[in-house]
Amino acid sequence: MSEQKQPDQSRRDFLTKGATAAAGLSIAPGVLLFGAVNARPADQAVTDQVRWGMLVDTNKCANGCDACVTACKKENGWGEQSGDESHSNELQKSQWIRKVELRHKQTGFAHSLPMMCQHCEHPPCADVCPTGASFKRADGIVLVDKHICIGCRFCMMACPYKARSFVHEELTHQRPNAPRGKGTVEACTMCVGRVDAGLRPACVESCPSQAILFGDLKDPNSEISKTVAKYASTAIRPDLGLNPGVRYQGI
Amino acid sequence: MASVAAKKVQFLETGLSSGFWLLLGGLGLLVLFGLGAHYQMEHHGHWISGMNNQIVWGTPHVFAIFLIVAASGALNVASISSVFDKKVYKPLAPLSGLLAIALLLGGLSVLVLDLGRPERLTVAMTHYNFKSIFAWNMILYNGFLAIVAVYLWTMMERKMNGYSKPVGFAAFIWRLMLTTGTGSIFGFLVARQAYDAALLAPMFVVMSFSFGLAVFMLVLMAAFRWTGRPLGDVMVKRLKNLLGVFVAGVLYFVLVYHLTNLYATEHHGVEAFVLRDGGVYTQIFWFGQILLGSLLPLALLYHPATGSKRGAIVAAALLVILGGFAQLYVLLIGGQAYPLVLFPGYEVSSGFSEGVVNSYSPSLPEVVLGISGIAIAGIMVTIAVKVLRFLPVSLADEVVDPHYAPKA
Amino acid sequence: MAMNGLARLLRLAAGAALVLTLSAPASAVPLPEIPEAKGEHCVEDPAVMRKKHMDYLKHQRDETMHQGIRTTKYSLKQCLECHAPVKESGQAVAQEESGHFCKNCHVYAGVKIDCFECHATRPEGNANFHPMVTPGGVSLNKARDDSGALLNRVAAAHSEQAGANQ
Repeated sequence: MSEQKQPDQSRRDFLTKGATAAAGLSIAPGVLLFGAVNARPADQAVTDQVRWGMLVDTNKCANGCDACVTACKKENGWGEQSGDESHSNELQKSQWIRKVELRHKQTGFAHSLPMMCQHCEHPPCADVCPTGASFKRADGIVLVDKHICIGCRFCMMACPYKARSFVHEELTHQRPNAPRGKGTVEACTMCVGRVDAGLRPACVESCPSQAILFGDLKDPNSEISKTVAKYASTAIRPDLGLNPGVRYQGI
Repeated sequence: MASVAAKKVQFLETGLSSGFWLLLGGLGLLVLFGLGAHYQMEHHGHWISGMNNQIVWGTPHVFAIFLIVAASGALNVASISSVFDKKVYKPLAPLSGLLAIALLLGGLSVLVLDLGRPERLTVAMTHYNFKSIFAWNMILYNGFLAIVAVYLWTMMERKMNGYSKPVGFAAFIWRLMLTTGTGSIFGFLVARQAYDAALLAPMFVVMSFSFGLAVFMLVLMAAFRWTGRPLGDVMVKRLKNLLGVFVAGVLYFVLVYHLTNLYATEHHGVEAFVLRDGGVYTQIFWFGQILLGSLLPLALLYHPATGSKRGAIVAAALLVILGGFAQLYVLLIGGQAYPLVLFPGYEVSSGFSEGVVNSYSPSLPEVVLGISGIAIAGIMVTIAVKVLRFLPVSLADEVVDPHYAPKA
Repeated sequence: MAMNGLARLLRLAAGAALVLTLSAPASAVPLPEIPEAKGEHCVEDPAVMRKKHMDYLKHQRDETMHQGIRTTKYSLKQCLECHAPVKESGQAVAQEESGHFCKNCHVYAGVKIDCFECHATRPEGNANFHPMVTPGGVSLNKARDDSGALLNRVAAAHSEQAGANQ
């Protein structure tokens, strides 16, 4: 029983072989694969030929809707989906993604958007991390290597987006695809396991109004690249010059 | 080196008295409580603390950073004697070095015991991210311990005395780098309104002068009183004048820091928060840091009626320490309590404390852990002066000042 | 290089300790009950796995974490896929329940595992759907050595090696 084939593997093989498949190949309702070029074989390392990004259209994002948050909780097993953080108070519980309601002070214009790790090109969390546990993968996904995280929380001090949480108590019943545990810092992983398997992040999949676009910012033919080239979009706190991988339209 | 020094200063270990055991026992108990608090926090997780995902650094960090800052400041007296060649301070130099090491170890203990995964300290020592100011600080701390240990050796081993000046100089440079590094932990945080200022690094250096000297004076006066050794007014007066200068220096930096922020509209929000609307943080700033921690000690130290009284000087040093804690509390916790500005011009709300002042109240385990850091430093000093000759036998005026002539 | 030498020394010491423990009178501490695994054989020889599973796991962990390499051969998820015994309910045994493969042996050896502070301790869902757990695979498993005999074989191999090293 050397290399076992996981269910995903066959999908990957299929994609690799059918490398001519166009972007946005749909293999089942609700499961959208985004192009063969993105499906990397399991034994190959990520490269910087790709930069994963998201584009949130806040005009489409509905006030009060939190489908993305619910989907993230389910996918990664946090919040009420974990049932474990019962000792932590509201301020201590983890929050990987949140919906922020905005109202302009002068004009009264109100809208809403999801906030999560912005997967910066120059992540301050990775800069300050003493052990290198906070790092950016070659394809632009910012992660915490919980194996070497000592729980100093300096990254949380440095993050301009409040995107990170510290696990304040012992956890059990984690999801196999989303390890998380006491004494370490965690945040949105852009559903890295799904992305590596050629799928889109859970929040993207779950949005009822398709307000979040996911794709490769370095591929000029990807839908996200075409959209950011055509319409105005911006980062949150662009003044910091961090060039986040998550961009927003309509703010 | 013209031997003006009238008498050779003698050093001697402290004796074995019931007071020694009492002090050791008391401090030991505090350390034990601290370890208990650490165990609780480690076993249950940080939910038993007052810290949360908004206030990620709490009371333990206030204690730890105070101790680390005071550590480098405690070395000042030794630096003045060897780097600036002030012979008067020479008898105090060994205690100064000892206190520097003890305070640093006390502070680091608190920092380590508060980690989410303290058992991974080895990871922190084997995985270095050289872009992290935190990783640099670890090198600075360890280097400081090593250099000061060598410095003590050159001072206390007669054969090595000749090297004491260059080593002392190296220690002085290193301690400046160390406090710059500590200040930069906050100065480099671009995202937070209260930090992100290059001024924080030099401000921390001056803070270390002040807090470190205050601690040093208290330890010196307590040690001499409890061991019945004479400590003359000449020495005390010199130290207290120096303390006054440092306290005024810190006040100056605080003034510049706030004036700069007040000038920039971008920072008006955080300034209004600290100076006017911040509730407990505003009170701690005005009453703790400014009034009790700076103005009152200045008055006590310089007013003719109190300036020469031992009690008033002790009170002033205690107040400076209190003010130091207040200052770090406002900076550290107040700085995190003020919400991050993500969407200028918008009112924001979310289920994750968006745009609201973050709440924090220190929990018992945090305070106990913090105090244990002080106790760890205290134990180290108590034992060290017992087994090695750190303390001069006498600092009476005629020993300290070669030109001293008793008034006829 | 020095680190390598040290690691080797430590491993040797650990090996020696294991042999000592195992060669102690059998009555002292009962050998751990090692639950049956699915599939015909492990990804490496069991004797090798016993000695090196932590190295394989650690190597894999760093590659997966930092480079996104998601081969399954040495992944923790895959270990559990085969080694987590399935209860009658169809769900696998979790760490906190009795009979967990990793825990049973680690408790016996007195070595703390850090994996399950964060990682799921069992595969999700009904493991019977797994290709390696088809009825045929399960029946093949029955032919395997029982766990005690296996452990003793490893112990013997260790003491031979220890003898050769002296």
